[in-house]
Amino acid sequence: MPTSSLSTQLLIIGGGATGLGAAWDACLRGLKVILVEQSDLGQGTSGRYHGLLHSGGRYVLSDPISARDCAAENAILRRIAPQAIEDTGGLFVTTPADPPEFADRWRSACASSGVPTDEWTISKTLKHEPLLNPRISRAFKVADAALDSFDLLHLLAEAVRKAGGQVLLQHQVKGLGVSAGRVTSASVINTRSGETRTIGAEIVINAAGPWTQHVASLAGINLPVVLSKGSMIAMTTRLVHTVINRCRPSQDGDIIVPVGTVVVLGTTDFEVDDPADHSIQGWEVDRIMAEGEVLIPSLADHRPLRAWAGVRALYRPTKSVRDATRDLPRAHAILDHAVSDGIQGILSVVGGKLTTFRLMAQATVDTACQKLGITAACYTAETRIGSPPRRFHELPNRLADVESASGRETSIVCECELATRLGLEHSLAEDHAQALDDSRRDIRLGMGPCQAAFCGYRAAAWAAALISGSPPDGGYRAFLKERWRGVRPLAWGKTLSQIELGRRISIELLGADSLPEDPP
Amino acid sequence: MTDLPGLAADMCLKCNICTAACPVAAVTDLFPGPKAVGPQEERFRHPRLPTADDSVAWCSGCGVCSRVCPHGVAVTEINVRAKAALAQQNGIGLRDRLISRPALLGRMGVRVAPLANAGLSNPLVRRIIEGILGVSRESPLPPFSSDTLRRRQADRIAAQPSDTVPATKLSVAYFHGCSTEYYEPRIGELAIAVLERLDCQVILPPQGCCGLPLQSNGLFDAARRYARSNIESLGPFASAGIPIVGTSTSCTLALKHEYRAILGLEGESVAGVAGATLDFFEFITLHRIAQLNRQHLRSTPLTVLYHPPCQLRGHGIGTPAMDVLRMIPDLEIVLSEAECCGIAGTYGLKREKATVAHAVGRPLFDQAHDVHPDSILSDSETCRWWIQNHTGLKSLHPLQLLAQAMNLE
Amino acid sequence: MTDLLIVGEGLCGLFAAVLASQHGADTTLVAQGRGGLSLSHGCIDILRDRASATTLRTLPQGHPYKLAGGENLDRALKKFLVITSGGGLAYRGGVEEILRLPTALGGVHATSFAPESLARASLGEIKSFTVGALEGFRDFSAELVRRNLARSGFPVPTVVSLPLLGDVPRRDLYAHDLALRFDDSEWRSELARAWKPRVGGLRLLGVPAVLGLWKHAEVIASLEDKLDLTLFEIPTLPPTLPGLRLERLLRRTALVSGVRLIEGSRALGLVDGRSGGERVAGVVVQAAGGPRTFPSDAVLLATGGTLHGGLIARQNGRILESVFDIPVQHSESRGEWTSERPLGAQPFASYGLRVNSEMRPVSDEGAPYFANLYAAGGIIGGSDRAVEGTRQGIDLLTAFRAVESALGVAL
Repeated sequence: MPTSSLSTQLLIIGGGATGLGAAWDACLRGLKVILVEQSDLGQGTSGRYHGLLHSGGRYVLSDPISARDCAAENAILRRIAPQAIEDTGGLFVTTPADPPEFADRWRSACASSGVPTDEWTISKTLKHEPLLNPRISRAFKVADAALDSFDLLHLLAEAVRKAGGQVLLQHQVKGLGVSAGRVTSASVINTRSGETRTIGAEIVINAAGPWTQHVASLAGINLPVVLSKGSMIAMTTRLVHTVINRCRPSQDGDIIVPVGTVVVLGTTDFEVDDPADHSIQGWEVDRIMAEGEVLIPSLADHRPLRAWAGVRALYRPTKSVRDATRDLPRAHAILDHAVSDGIQGILSVVGGKLTTFRLMAQATVDTACQKLGITAACYTAETRIGSPPRRFHELPNRLADVESASGRETSIVCECELATRLGLEHSLAEDHAQALDDSRRDIRLGMGPCQAAFCGYRAAAWAAALISGSPPDGGYRAFLKERWRGVRPLAWGKTLSQIELGRRISIELLGADSLPEDPP
Repeated sequence: MTDLPGLAADMCLKCNICTAACPVAAVTDLFPGPKAVGPQEERFRHPRLPTADDSVAWCSGCGVCSRVCPHGVAVTEINVRAKAALAQQNGIGLRDRLISRPALLGRMGVRVAPLANAGLSNPLVRRIIEGILGVSRESPLPPFSSDTLRRRQADRIAAQPSDTVPATKLSVAYFHGCSTEYYEPRIGELAIAVLERLDCQVILPPQGCCGLPLQSNGLFDAARRYARSNIESLGPFASAGIPIVGTSTSCTLALKHEYRAILGLEGESVAGVAGATLDFFEFITLHRIAQLNRQHLRSTPLTVLYHPPCQLRGHGIGTPAMDVLRMIPDLEIVLSEAECCGIAGTYGLKREKATVAHAVGRPLFDQAHDVHPDSILSDSETCRWWIQNHTGLKSLHPLQLLAQAMNLE
Repeated sequence: MTDLLIVGEGLCGLFAAVLASQHGADTTLVAQGRGGLSLSHGCIDILRDRASATTLRTLPQGHPYKLAGGENLDRALKKFLVITSGGGLAYRGGVEEILRLPTALGGVHATSFAPESLARASLGEIKSFTVGALEGFRDFSAELVRRNLARSGFPVPTVVSLPLLGDVPRRDLYAHDLALRFDDSEWRSELARAWKPRVGGLRLLGVPAVLGLWKHAEVIASLEDKLDLTLFEIPTLPPTLPGLRLERLLRRTALVSGVRLIEGSRALGLVDGRSGGERVAGVVVQAAGGPRTFPSDAVLLATGGTLHGGLIARQNGRILESVFDIPVQHSESRGEWTSERPLGAQPFASYGLRVNSEMRPVSDEGAPYFANLYAAGGIIGGSDRAVEGTRQGIDLLTAFRAVESALGVAL
């Protein structure tokens, strides 16, 4: 096995918002940075979240400091990464199932936490969002927005590379080199090619999300982390165009977030052991739908599109009582293991929300700089991420692109999400996508109502043409298998009909089950 | 009939059955197809943002897509609403405002019928109109009648409401529509004669244009005004259990379906009128079959090509005229294969759409050429005028053939 | 009052309508929309690659073939072939035969009857051949065909790139769009001239199924003549041409034979109140404006399974038959409806009505729910059509038997 070695000042493990945010911050401060991510961008927790850019309203009573941070970061992200944000606005509404007295308490708490609110009349609210429960009694507008994490991660990765950092995808950390009580290197393996490397680093930042505990253990550190899994459901269409929150103490299934062409309902929240536990239980689906019906009474008439789960890591230093994971502080924790475990050269970052990723990154890089003896100011709050255009994303954008003169010159591969052939080629060629599922995250291939029933074949054809070493079927069957996981938990009604259509095409028309198994 | 548009985009499985049936997508690559501009693009439309899709303007509103969708997706309704939003955004020109008001044009035209008709059949005048307004000079503009149906029926109207309706007679409210009133009153008279022969007491309620052309051209507010006025006039008949019978399949579709599904009107009255409205032959097959069976129908040894209008098929009741026509002795009926003749209301009148409209109708014109029937039958006036114009063959309402067989012609 | 009212416009419903009407029955067909023919390969799958009298006999008792009588397949298929050849669409094959045809993915589709333009490519018959890649057509990949066919026992094809003429289209074209262009003889002649230099020396050329919709036979004959080779077709993404051709033929045949066709309306069953619940009276359709009643002597459910709403599966675990609410055999636990492998057998795909040998829906004890209600096609449970390869065979056989029962005749 060929082995090569690299060296850097900061080695960041984990390509989610935390890791990429830190990489970008560090690059702007002039540090030499290498980031390794075991999968593709967005396969971890950041890519599995509900899409909410918090106004802070959800935390004003339970965690006011968090609320304040969210409000501030919300404003900052709108300035520095508008392309990844749709300015949907948000609403907090009191439904018949919510304690009516909560609203006023909540509103004052918003005021003292710096979270702006504006009370709306019910008729204005229902005109704005006709599918909302007509029996709501209070409604407040807030600055929630929808944040597309795939777009954000891509912007960050692009910015890191432009600033001279390295982002190595499909690179998994197999071991950490510890000598004389100091972490000095990591050995990584390229999971696609099998090539191994050693990366020497002055400081390792462990931002591996649900795997932070595992990574810490590679250095012999026992990191007290609790894993909490949350499931979400996307509905096929934009039932609402505004983020909707229930005005009550936070519980499961509280929010509906419009993200792109769907709305996301969610989430559940309970402890799991496996960082890769993405299973969806039937009861979770039923619970999410039932809670959603409180906000949208006609929900059962609409089609759920897809279910997925994400695992969050929460720092729990004293495991005395089995707390409900929802009550654990979501504030992030930055651990200098020199202090907590006597091992130098490694910091772990656990917890936090996507909305405050920049703040977490700032604190992390501040700590790293301190340890390196470097004085360098943080510029991330003023620096725009990624290339122009720098406008908020709007829902009709992809349609406008396709309808434009130049848009009409390119073939559409995924009709549901208007993903073009050019986009797919770019994804396969330049973004080093190796499987159709990677392109899915890039260009939303197969993420629409038909869940790859049509575009799966078209995309496989392009993959066969453009990826050397692609499987004989162009990755068609693997793609279908991946799509199946998210659709199967919702197999009733029209979703079941869609499944049946998919079978008619893949089995009867294309004979996909008649192909021999791919060679290993 | 189909789910109202609010649920439509959810229920689309992207199967392309509608795309394969669409007569416009079949003839031009400017139109991506009903699935694409309907439920697919609907997911990218935002109520508070400008619409980004120009290609929906090519939809003719013929309704084939809604009809063939196995999932009940109201594709046509989505498209018509999207077209209206686009039209409002881009601005609706004088031409569309004029051609969508056949009642207004009719009232003006009947007063000066000979002059108006001479003008509209003059190629130079048509060229000028095309240049200024954009009404295709190839497309038929029907000649105005010099008197209207209601004027001819003035006595009947004066005698309404009749206090004594014999028990054996069934009261019927006749919705004649603009075409019969201003352009083809003869057809209205025949309709009344047939109904009376079948033991009906025919009433001509006050009525206005159904508003469908306004709706098709994106003028929803104006369409709603016409609609509300008609509901007010017709509502009492519906409540009294009196059927509202129409001889124009587009008018009856508006009353049955479009007022609610597209214009969004609600309420008992609207629903009542919708439930009471029947197409002429639908009415006969449901309520007057016994009376029809008692008629002696004259032998009519002709070959006719029957083209059920796309709007008729949109009623979801099949083609009831066929059941009646089959009762006429010696009549050979060939059924049109085409989903749409191409005129699609006012679509084919427009200069920029005329080529596509003609291409849509081409298979029907070819079939007419092959069959060479004595006449072509169609229940919609715009279809008749268009088909006659493009084939040179006489085009009749099927009720004219029935009237003839009943010796009423 | 119509003699037989059929609900559903798929292969099953259309075939039943033609049989009934051609036999002289006053026949009405009601459908919410069109059926699944345009989603299919246009072939008649009977039992995938195991069609033999012995194999049919070994199927479980509740299997639709057992209920309808596998021995009746011959008669049903004979009727089908008469109808298709009468409409100018030639099918090849046999109840006991298997044709192995290439798919657009390079897989193998084993079937019993295929349209002539597809059947020419059957494994065992073809030796060397070439696959044409139509430039700019996104719904077919000659490369995928080439790669995978070789692993499926077919001879390895060569690939030739073939242009499509005309201005660059302003949108992607479906197979259906291309087929309409091929129907145009001028366009076709020009195309043949452009292809000629690229196909010199080729004997057998396979292209995606785009060779005409209305003038299919003429298209193939004229192209073969101009290019001096034999052509065959491979069905590709829906809307498929072999499916559309068959559907158009059946619909046209039905209308010409006098079937009353009501498209665009959902039907709800109407029970005859005077019969003490023993008989159905017809259906009520949700037409524009309001419900319309269509009385009928007998009703045949050809509404299919879960695809087009013959069966409705609810979140609460119930699966319902959507016209008469006839009880459906199914698991009440939603999680058991599907299996892990998307390309494998799925329990839900076998759910449906239980019928007797006369195609009447019956209870578990075998008692018919109604004396004059029949069911055929995908609404009948007992077979996962996709993995067993039984879809069209069941459609045709059960439609045939249902019409015989409903009309009380031997067809």
